[in-house]
Parts: sequence; structure tokens; C-alpha cells
Amino acid sequence: MHYIKLYFVCIKRSMLSRLEYKKDSVISILSFLLSNACALGSIFFILQAIPSLKGYTPAEVGFFYGFSMLPIAIDHLFSDEFWLVAYRRVQLGDMDRHFLRPIPVIFQMFAETFQPDGFGEVIVGITMIVICGLNLHVSVTFGAIFVLIIGAVFGALIITSFKIALSSLAFIFKRSGPLLQIVYNFTVYAKYPIAIFPKVVKFILIFILPFGLFISLPVDTLLYGNYNPYLLSLIIIGVSIVFFTLATLIWTLCARRYESTGS
Amino acid sequence: MRRLRKYKPFVRASAIDMMAYRFNIITWAIVTVFEVACLIFLWLAVYQSSEGGIDSSINGFTYKEMIVYVVLTTIFGFITFNDDTLWFINRDIRQGTIGNFLIKPISYRGKFIASNIGAFLMMSIVFGIPLYAAGLGVLIGIGYLPVASVWDFIAHFALFLVASVLACLLNGVISYIFGILCFYTSAAWGLNALKTTVISFLSGTLLPIAFFPNVFREIVTYMPFAGMSQNPVLILMMKYDYLECCKVILISLAWLVLLELFAKLLFSRAIKVVTVQGG
Repeated sequence: MHYIKLYFVCIKRSMLSRLEYKKDSVISILSFLLSNACALGSIFFILQAIPSLKGYTPAEVGFFYGFSMLPIAIDHLFSDEFWLVAYRRVQLGDMDRHFLRPIPVIFQMFAETFQPDGFGEVIVGITMIVICGLNLHVSVTFGAIFVLIIGAVFGALIITSFKIALSSLAFIFKRSGPLLQIVYNFTVYAKYPIAIFPKVVKFILIFILPFGLFISLPVDTLLYGNYNPYLLSLIIIGVSIVFFTLATLIWTLCARRYESTGS
Repeated sequence: MRRLRKYKPFVRASAIDMMAYRFNIITWAIVTVFEVACLIFLWLAVYQSSEGGIDSSINGFTYKEMIVYVVLTTIFGFITFNDDTLWFINRDIRQGTIGNFLIKPISYRGKFIASNIGAFLMMSIVFGIPLYAAGLGVLIGIGYLPVASVWDFIAHFALFLVASVLACLLNGVISYIFGILCFYTSAAWGLNALKTTVISFLSGTLLPIAFFPNVFREIVTYMPFAGMSQNPVLILMMKYDYLECCKVILISLAWLVLLELFAKLLFSRAIKVVTVQGG
């Protein structure tokens, strides 16, 4: 309870400092919208030339694209600070003050920034889901909606876990941003149905970097009823808990090796 | 000639700078390999799903040509688009160092052109030669890029080099124009993202302009962006005959002159409103 209150106090402070850069935020959001429009436009231009993409209609591909933005956006809202840890903060010796406070450092990282830019992604994602969803000819079941929500929320937890684990390597190597970048960029694969990829890639996207597990499989459940929604939800929740536990463990172990860089 | 000599240190400095970011370049390379692989899988699925099957041609591109296009566009972007122009202008405004340039006997724009050329030369020599050699070697070797005659290839390659230099300069001046907008908004992150998005979409980096719908395609074909990625790559792929090559190169050249004039005009207006924070 104490931590929840503390979280909101910290977030309020972070929001106040964001207000200093209003114009920057507006232009960032605009360019974000435009870049999504371009990416989507590209996909639709391609789809116009073919009957369907491995059986997926344009509306279905659009639904995929919109849904894939949700877990990424939710993660973006809460855990942006880990990028700075990975790229800069450890290297600059800027973490000392966090280690001196009687609050878990990992909690402080979450409380350090709340990234409202993520709302833009949530809005675009949901808009796309609604527009494309209305053009889909599927019977919507409660189970399918349930597994989509689970996929978005716990999928975000899985992405955050990767961020925590990889950024904590900076405590040992001083800088782990590039590695985090490489793993994070696999989210480009999450925008498409895994059915279009070769077997090896499918395997990676389900068992190693499970973007397919929480994006592709839930959407397939809605479109084709391929999987049992409740079993799938249970698996997603289970996997995300395992990932998050492992990530916090790795963070704790690496944080013990932290040495201030001084300057 | 002597007037140009004073810009030489900028060429050198930015070339050396480029090498200081080797680590970033390795990260970029790994990220890019995975992204290109993703695109290749996507195109494979697209051509497999098309009516004529994998060997059909969509909007003038066969599957093999599309793979060649994706690979070459990626290498091309890496070698050619290395400008920090926007960031430098933003820094000069924020730290007030822009004042130093206004009193020095060199042109602010000239400095950036020199830096662009330096970075381009360094990237071309260190990464361009091995990447193009490996890329073209493999693509020609596996028969994805057919070569009718060696001389034809050499001629197209020479035209490609000309188009590359123009693409680098066009990218530089567009960055500069976006950079000048920092005078008004100081929203460098957003402006840079906006610039990157516009360029990657309209230059045909995301997908060839032939895929765009009718009227839109006609407009984009004659915009400066087409000359920044698609046209040089299509020249290298020998998809254009010599007449078309000359045409697209001339269009780029005309745009370059126009945009430089526009940038000059914009700068002379913007410099009057510059607000230095601190400095």
C-alpha cells in the first residue's frame, strides 16, 4: 500500500518535468502517428496486389498490427527508465542515489518515469482493432476477448522482464543498451501472423522470445478458434510470471556487482 | 579551390567521428540483419500468396528482384544516411555555439556539407566497399541479380555512384531544413523522427514506389525523396536504361539546387528569431 502511494508521488513529479517539453511531445506524437500510418499504408499497398497473405485478409493483418501495439505500448508506459539504465545511467555513475535509499532500486526505476507517449500507441492500437475488427467476419466469444486482454497485459510483463534482465547487465558491463536494443527489435516480427514465417522463426517466436505466444496465438484464437482461450491464457500468465521472476532475480544478482563509476 | 580548402578539417573530423561509433555500428548491423530477414520472410509469404505463385511479378518486381531490392536498399541507407546535421544544429542552438559560427568566415551550411561528405567517404571506404562487394557478389552469384554484360554493369555502377553522392547531399539538405525548424520549436527528437519517417516512406525504402496507388505514385516519383534511395538502387539493379538513369539523376540534381536555395532562404529568416537558452 505504501509503495502504491509512493509510486503516484514519484509519477506526479515525473509528469511535471515532462510538461516542460510540451511542443516536443506533440511533434513526437504526430511523427509517431505518421510513421504508423506509413507502415500500415505500406502493408495495405502490398496486400492490394495479392488475394490474401497466407489466408489472412487485409482486415485481419490490420487487426494483428493494431493488437501487437498494445503490449508494446503498455510496457512503454511503465518501464521506459530501463533504457536509460542500459544506455547511460550506470555508465555516468548516476545510479548511486538510488542505491542509498531504503526502497528497492527496481521499484525506483519504475517510479522514475511514466511515459505518456505510450497512450498514443494504445489509442492507435485500439482504434485499429476496432476498425479492422468491425470488418472481420468472426463470431466474437468471451474467451477470445479474455485471452486478448491477457495477452496484452501479461505480454507487456514479458517485454518488461526482458528489459529488466538485459538492462541490469549494465551493472556488470557498464553499458548494455545495444544488447537490449537487439532483443527489443525482435518486436518487428510480432506485427505479422507467425504463420508467414519459416518453422525455425516460429519456434523462436513461441519458445525463446515469446512475442508470438502473446500476440499471434491469441489473435489466431479470435479469428480461427485455433486454441483453447483459457488454457492459452493460463500459459501466457505462467510464462510471464516465470520471466518476471527470473528477470528480478537477474537484476538482484547484477545489482550486487554495481560499482559507482565515480564521475 | 582555396575557398573550399578551409572546409577540409570538417570532412576529416566527421570521417574520424564516424569511426568512433564502431560499437553502435555493430549493434546496428545485428538489428538490421534480423529486420531484413523479417522483410524477406514477409515478401516470401506475399509472393507465395500471389495469384501467379512465387515466380510471378508484382508491380514489375519478381520475388528475386524484391530480395535484391531489400538487401541493396538496406546497405545503401547504411552507407548514405549518416548525417547528424539536425542534432548538431539543435546543439548549437541549445548551447549557444551557433553564435561562434555566425562570426567565423565559413558558411554554416558549408560546414555541414563538408561533414556529410566526410562521413559518406569514410562509410563508403570502410563499410561500403566490403558490403557492396559481398552483397552484389552473393546476389549475382546465386542468380538473383542477372548481369547481361560486364560493361553494362560497370556503366550502371558508375551512374549509381553519381546518384549515391546526390542522395547523400539531398539527405544532408533535408536534414538541414528540418534542423532549421529547431530554431522555431526546439523539438529535435520529434523533428528527427518526423524526418526519418517521411524519408523512409517516400524514398521507397519501406517498399518500392511502384506499389503506391496511381496518382500518389506519380507525385512521389517526381519528389526529391525518390532520388534518395529507390532510384540509386534501381540504377544499380540495372532496372533503368541509360536514358532513364540520366533522367532520374537530373531530377535529383535539380531538386538539390532548389532545396539548397530554399534552405538558404529559410536560414536567413530563422537566424533572426534564434533564442539561445543559456549560451
